[in-house]
Amino acid sequence: MATITKSANLVWEKTKPHLPWVTLITLVIIVGIADANFLKPQNMISLAADVVPLFIMAMGITFAIYIGGIDLSAQSIANMTTVIATVALAMFGIGAAFICILTGAALGAVSGFVTTRLYVPSFVSTIAVGGVAYSVGQWLSGQRALYMDAALRENAFAWMVGNTAGLPHELVIGGTLLFIAWFLMTRTSFGRALKAIGAGELAAVASGLNVDRIKVIAFALSGAFAAIAGLLFAVKLSGGSPTIANGFLLPAIVAVLVGGTPLTGGVGGMINTLIGTLIVAVIRSSMLYFEIDATKQQMVFGIILIIAIAATIDRSKLRIVK
Amino acid sequence: MVAVRTTNSPTLPDNPRHGIVLEALVKWAPLLVLLVLIAFFALMEPRFLSIRNFARIGISSSPALMVAIGVTFVILMGSIDLSMEGTVSVSAVLFAFAFLALGGTLASLAWLALPVALIVGAIIGFINGLIHIRLRIPSFMASLAMGFVGTGFALLITGGDRIRIEDELFRSLLTVRWFNFPIMCYVAMALVLVAWFIQSRTKLGRNFYAVGGGEELAHASGLNVGRVRIMGFMLAGAFYAVGALLAVGRIGIAETATGNNFMFVSITSVVVGGTALWGGIGGIWNTVVGVLIVNVINNGMVVIGLPGFIQDGVLGLLVIVAVFLSTDRKSVSFVK
Repeated sequence: MATITKSANLVWEKTKPHLPWVTLITLVIIVGIADANFLKPQNMISLAADVVPLFIMAMGITFAIYIGGIDLSAQSIANMTTVIATVALAMFGIGAAFICILTGAALGAVSGFVTTRLYVPSFVSTIAVGGVAYSVGQWLSGQRALYMDAALRENAFAWMVGNTAGLPHELVIGGTLLFIAWFLMTRTSFGRALKAIGAGELAAVASGLNVDRIKVIAFALSGAFAAIAGLLFAVKLSGGSPTIANGFLLPAIVAVLVGGTPLTGGVGGMINTLIGTLIVAVIRSSMLYFEIDATKQQMVFGIILIIAIAATIDRSKLRIVK
Repeated sequence: MVAVRTTNSPTLPDNPRHGIVLEALVKWAPLLVLLVLIAFFALMEPRFLSIRNFARIGISSSPALMVAIGVTFVILMGSIDLSMEGTVSVSAVLFAFAFLALGGTLASLAWLALPVALIVGAIIGFINGLIHIRLRIPSFMASLAMGFVGTGFALLITGGDRIRIEDELFRSLLTVRWFNFPIMCYVAMALVLVAWFIQSRTKLGRNFYAVGGGEELAHASGLNVGRVRIMGFMLAGAFYAVGALLAVGRIGIAETATGNNFMFVSITSVVVGGTALWGGIGGIWNTVVGVLIVNVINNGMVVIGLPGFIQDGVLGLLVIVAVFLSTDRKSVSFVK
């Protein structure tokens, strides 16, 4: 009996890494059978382009989850960034983008600092920093929706959302960021350090890594990516408001976890998040095809989230589940 | 406990009083902060001290206090519950449906909607606990996901509509005042006493502290830790439902948005009140002080003419300071 469960476990451990892409392909096939239009390249490309801001935010959160933490401030930072982008565009033109990214990275670094030095668990520190970001957004915007000046937007940011030979520029931006994040994680010593921390923090400390600094950088990257997501969102909608990105946090976390980066960290990565985001995108559009209306989406994603965590989490790392 | 640890530690000089003073400071800091805040706002604007204004603080505090007390039980066990927004919305909406279906006034059978709401809250808490314990998922994620499901469910059954509750008897929670304070403040106070009774005079309350103080020890001494945790989540859910009832009583509307903002405010209140996120330290009275701190800041900013939206940022910073102060850094090797 014991050997049976053991070998069943082994099979499960072996299939687990392949689940995300198998799920994705199965979903695409199911939806494709239900509606052949779904499989048209045109539809696929516009689907992918729509999901880029979510993808960028999810990549940021991947850094936080990969080291065993979490970033619940991503949505608030993206909200704030849409406002900063709109306000700063009028003053600094393209420089607004740098201000946005730097602000996001700074807030992320604050989360990291509070987590590592003040010993506040990341889910609380990021909620708190999210509160700060939310206030900044409210304050800068005067609590209303702002609009970008059309000419200024055209000059500074039009390249972000254009279309070249049928290829939306968002996809190029998302692809570039994916390459950067993937490179950081798999081809640099920083990436190795992230993996070491995610796999076992105490061992990483014992082996002489400056764990605190690496964690701060990971949260800063998460903040920066959330800011880029907000920036892209602001450009797409040509404006900003302190609540415009609400509803992003849940699908972004779902994308990371469904992709196969477990809450306990150490395995998974950016490619997993790419697959996870695509799964989210396909589920979303399949809900349209199967006429599940929008109000049910949050419920569905909440339930998927629970299933995804339960399936991926590494329980050997959690002696006590609190 | 903190004192013992600090005396043994090499970093602090051999002065046991140091630890005791620090401990006392951490224990009384929240009350001190509350008094300083009240003094500050009173100096800036004398009208802050009027009975009318205190009643206003009482009204805004009451629903938040119920939700914060609910999550206090969970935090005492060392877990966390982030599902309050969804639970409050679902309880409020189902209460409103039941209330209207059963007659629409407290004088009729519709009073049954009150216990219905509490049961709904407890059921959602039960599901939270089950997912957390049976699937062995960390509670912050299990409850966060359940919160999303709850909000989605509330949206689904209302279709985005608002449900008005216009029964005068029910609205008397807000409209009838005894000694200048509306009835909802007295309801909240009564439930604080109930919660305090559960915390200090029942086995369940002691078990919360046992689990929070050291889960392995509690388990080794024969306590069914999983059951205690599930009971904690159920109790929390029932208190969220009371919060939902008071929130509906305050504005006379039940909708998906009834639950908005409760998560940030209630977690902030509990932590600022001095209940440790690690469990085992703090309790109901800490939460009462914490909720008052949050609402005094909220109200004080408006009274002295500062924009209200700064409060989220101020509260965020306060939370960090509060967790920082209440953490015994010698006993924690790292946090995630």
